[in-house]
Amino acid sequence: MSHNCEKARALAYRYLDREMVWYRRLQVRWHLRRCPRCEHGFHFEEVLRRRIHEGCHEEIPTAVYERLRAALRELPIKADPPG
Amino acid sequence: MADPARFEDDVVPLLPQLYSAALRLTRNPTDAEDVLQEALLRAFRGYGGFKAGTNLRAWLYRILTNTFINRYRQQTRQPAEVELGELEDLYLYRRLGQGSGAARSAEEEALERFVDADLRAAVESLPEIFRIPVLLADVEGFSYKEIARITDVPIGTVMSRLHRGRKALEKALWDITERRGTVESPA
Repeated sequence: MSHNCEKARALAYRYLDREMVWYRRLQVRWHLRRCPRCEHGFHFEEVLRRRIHEGCHEEIPTAVYERLRAALRELPIKADPPG
Repeated sequence: MADPARFEDDVVPLLPQLYSAALRLTRNPTDAEDVLQEALLRAFRGYGGFKAGTNLRAWLYRILTNTFINRYRQQTRQPAEVELGELEDLYLYRRLGQGSGAARSAEEEALERFVDADLRAAVESLPEIFRIPVLLADVEGFSYKEIARITDVPIGTVMSRLHRGRKALEKALWDITERRGTVESPA
């Protein structure tokens, strides 16, 4: 593993999160084009993120949804008087 | 200033995702509903101070997160950030791929074998200090800047907690794999 690999891997999350200035982003992308091992590892991280995203969403049960809606309807529309 | 009369209409579309987040935070349906209900009440009371047209979703997640922390933080001791130790980059990838050698998609196939319950269990196994940023970034899709605002910490802290939290998550998934013994030996 080269120095470039280490540099790129340390930046993997920021790269995948798109939280990087463009020139750093390009540096990483150019490295990935030249380094299949890193490219593969980055892709794995991306797939993992996607699995976590999908897997952690849970449907709200209808009964819970209805109870929360009912609670919202009971809120006093006029704000409390100050004090 | 936001109009309290609009509160219900504004918030109802976000209920499903807020509930899902509350469930990941509290780890059980009863507490999730309690926390969310209290957060909604707090949000309503503070709605006059919310600037209409700004990021309502982030504002609500901030209240939800704070409500959760205020309620449950006392109950469990939080590990210090250093206790997790330093895990190498691409932790899970290296482990799932060990021994498979050539096949390009071996690690990704191993990923496909995780069911939703595994991913949830792994997220929920994280200490709160890491679970919250991981949840906000990877499940809810907030940016670093938004997470910094939601959790009231500097953006550098968000990045380091996210970094460590994600590695801890990979380790939790690896532990699940090992317990189950589903790492297939190379043919």
